[in-house]
Amino acid sequence: MPMSLSTQEPADDDQFLMIAKIDNARSVSNILKAIHFKETATVFASSMGLKVTVEDAKCIQANAFIQEGIFQEYAIKEDQLTFKINLTVLLECLTIFGSGPVGGACTSLKMCYQGYGCPLILILEEDGVLTDCSIKTLEPDEVLDFNFCSTNVVNKIIMKSECLKEAFNELDMTSDVLEFLMSPDAPHLRLSTFGNAGSTTSDFPKDSDMVESFQCSQTQTNRYKVSLLKPSVKALALSSRVSIRTDNRGFLSLQYMIKNEDGQVCFVEYYCAPDEDLDDPDH
Amino acid sequence: MKCIIPGTNIKVFGRGIHSLSKIGEELYLEPLEHGLALRTVNSSRSAYACFLFAPSFFIHYDDGAGDASSDDSEDTLRCKIAMKSILTVFRSLSTMEKTVERCKIKLNMKESRLVFQLYCRHGIVKTHNLAFIECETLQAVFSKDMSPNSLTASSKLLCDAVMNFQNNQEEITLIVNPEKIVIKNYVDDEPDPNKVMHTNLSLEPDEFDNCQVGVDTEAILGFAEVTTLPLTINFETAGRPIVFTIDSDSTFEGNFVLATLADQQGQSQAQTQPRQATQKRSNIDSARSNEVNADYTDFMNDDTDFDIMIQNDTTVVYPRQTSVDTDKHTHTLRVKEAGALETHTDRSEGSVARQTNTDRSEGSVARQTNTDRDKGVVARQMHTDRVEGGGAISSASRGGIRRVGGKGDNQSKSGRFNSPIVNNSVPSDDEESPVLPMLGTKVKIGDTTLTEDMVVDNADEDEDVVPGTPPAKRFRSLFFGSSQASQSQSRNPDLCTSRVLAPDSDDEN
Repeated sequence: MPMSLSTQEPADDDQFLMIAKIDNARSVSNILKAIHFKETATVFASSMGLKVTVEDAKCIQANAFIQEGIFQEYAIKEDQLTFKINLTVLLECLTIFGSGPVGGACTSLKMCYQGYGCPLILILEEDGVLTDCSIKTLEPDEVLDFNFCSTNVVNKIIMKSECLKEAFNELDMTSDVLEFLMSPDAPHLRLSTFGNAGSTTSDFPKDSDMVESFQCSQTQTNRYKVSLLKPSVKALALSSRVSIRTDNRGFLSLQYMIKNEDGQVCFVEYYCAPDEDLDDPDH
Repeated sequence: MKCIIPGTNIKVFGRGIHSLSKIGEELYLEPLEHGLALRTVNSSRSAYACFLFAPSFFIHYDDGAGDASSDDSEDTLRCKIAMKSILTVFRSLSTMEKTVERCKIKLNMKESRLVFQLYCRHGIVKTHNLAFIECETLQAVFSKDMSPNSLTASSKLLCDAVMNFQNNQEEITLIVNPEKIVIKNYVDDEPDPNKVMHTNLSLEPDEFDNCQVGVDTEAILGFAEVTTLPLTINFETAGRPIVFTIDSDSTFEGNFVLATLADQQGQSQAQTQPRQATQKRSNIDSARSNEVNADYTDFMNDDTDFDIMIQNDTTVVYPRQTSVDTDKHTHTLRVKEAGALETHTDRSEGSVARQTNTDRSEGSVARQTNTDRDKGVVARQMHTDRVEGGGAISSASRGGIRRVGGKGDNQSKSGRFNSPIVNNSVPSDDEESPVLPMLGTKVKIGDTTLTEDMVVDNADEDEDVVPGTPPAKRFRSLFFGSSQASQSQSRNPDLCTSRVLAPDSDDEN
């Protein structure tokens, strides 16, 4: 099916610092939905692809990576382009033809960015109907650097998302915190909530066939605010595998491997700061 | 208490809980020797439901009777938990069906936690520690066997019938006569009945009687649908509770008791015609009708109110009744009768007792017809030898309204009732809840009698004071003359064999 985008003059594209084309806009929109828990997001475009970051309360950060390999066409003229954008509006534009997979119809997407201060241009086309959107970009804010490096990782578990999905879907929202216990001894992974009805724990043994990799060197118990982690359920729902890592400070890194409709793999990661005890002398 | 539910039964268990959750806000859990009882009652106490899961339902069932010391075991094995809490455990039944291999339930007395451990696929274990409160048994007074009418239908039939009604329909009328069964919506207090949609559904015939039923069908049918078991409806007449039963051989049994609205006088007259029904009744009609009709009028003037037909009892502690107690009890009741109805209803389930007292105080009918029925009931209970204590038996435990001995004559009689009954009644297996095992292995949560102990205990409980039991919800229990009397009479021939009752019944007449 000929892409009408190709009818556009190639010369027009010279003005853009970044151009990305993809045949199926849902590959982008679905990933972005997984991190859509705040209105605005910061976009980092580089030669490696797009990274979109959403943060909340200075405690949680979600990053969606859409590598350049996902796109049919990806060109960038600078090392890094950064801008802030209204994620809600962006998603509404990306899904302007509807969000679900409708029969065979695919929405193709072309994203163009001319530079600092210029809007992000989206051209979407489905079945001969063309839509172009121009979304104002905002001054990018500093994003948190959680300084989560693999050398500091104390415990790491890679498992299939299926079993965690249930646990997270049934999270007792009357509980303030979600406690992660990771340990080389039983119970190897335990998620606990303490709500109005009582406490609920889910135990995942390391020899379960849901656990693909289990590397825990020390017993760690960390609590994270349920309200902050709840948005990660969206990413979890889309993912097939998840990696859970904690570092020596108790920071949590959740990395989700998401396969899009075309079988390509994208990653979404969530970083969360632990809930500190107020009377903890160390902090 | 510790029991393990196999994966195959978890859905049924969960469905039972879901259907109980549609009735009440709290779930009463009681591990009994013959099974785990889950009960609930709605806020206005007009509907009660109980599921009894026999030990065969579980892989492993230990009611914990052997564990605690005798002092503790009576008190600590009954608990109630908020329905919301337990719903979090059984929230998604479809996923549970697929993933949970077994469910272990434990009562952790030390920390007051009811522990549900779900052993799922892939070695995953989910543990829910739910806080519970110790409480007294929740018990409804009703008797399925005493009711003259019984309808059995597959849940599908009833579901189809109910679907024809609007969703917000709160009450439906069930009219039964030999030719057909009619279900129609109950139009109450409408300024212009012609402007309201009337739905009228007729079914193939089965039984007879008229009543107006306040029905919460969704809860009941929801459960029945899953189990695809036939649903039995036992009922008597307007104002008497209607009992829906789901029975699965001996693995579990569910009982739903709903209060019914008593008919208005005019309607009742009109509707008495089809009630000629059984042969049992017809020959007795004339004999009793005069008497009863007179009483009926008296009764009508007195505006009896019944709010609650459910009574908690401390019946685990049975055999304390003595004749002395009963007299005291009835005396107490008499005093209470003097009070306003409202205060009676507002008290804890003893409210049943008190309401029934007022009932008695009002109606000579009550007394008369009661006694007839009482005898019937007592006789029954005597037969099975599982009567919990005495005189109160004279109350018609039929249909969930307990009447203790009654005033005057009745009381002294109940006094007489007591001694013999007490002596006989306490069987070896006392630790059971008040159960009237009419039929084989199946155990019903059935007739229990009101005793002084219960009343006193009830007064002490504050947990069942129902806040804001709406005074507006009054159910008039009408005794439709012939049908009532005839029904009661119909039992007498069968039951006159009781050695205790025969003399009393004659005196009453």
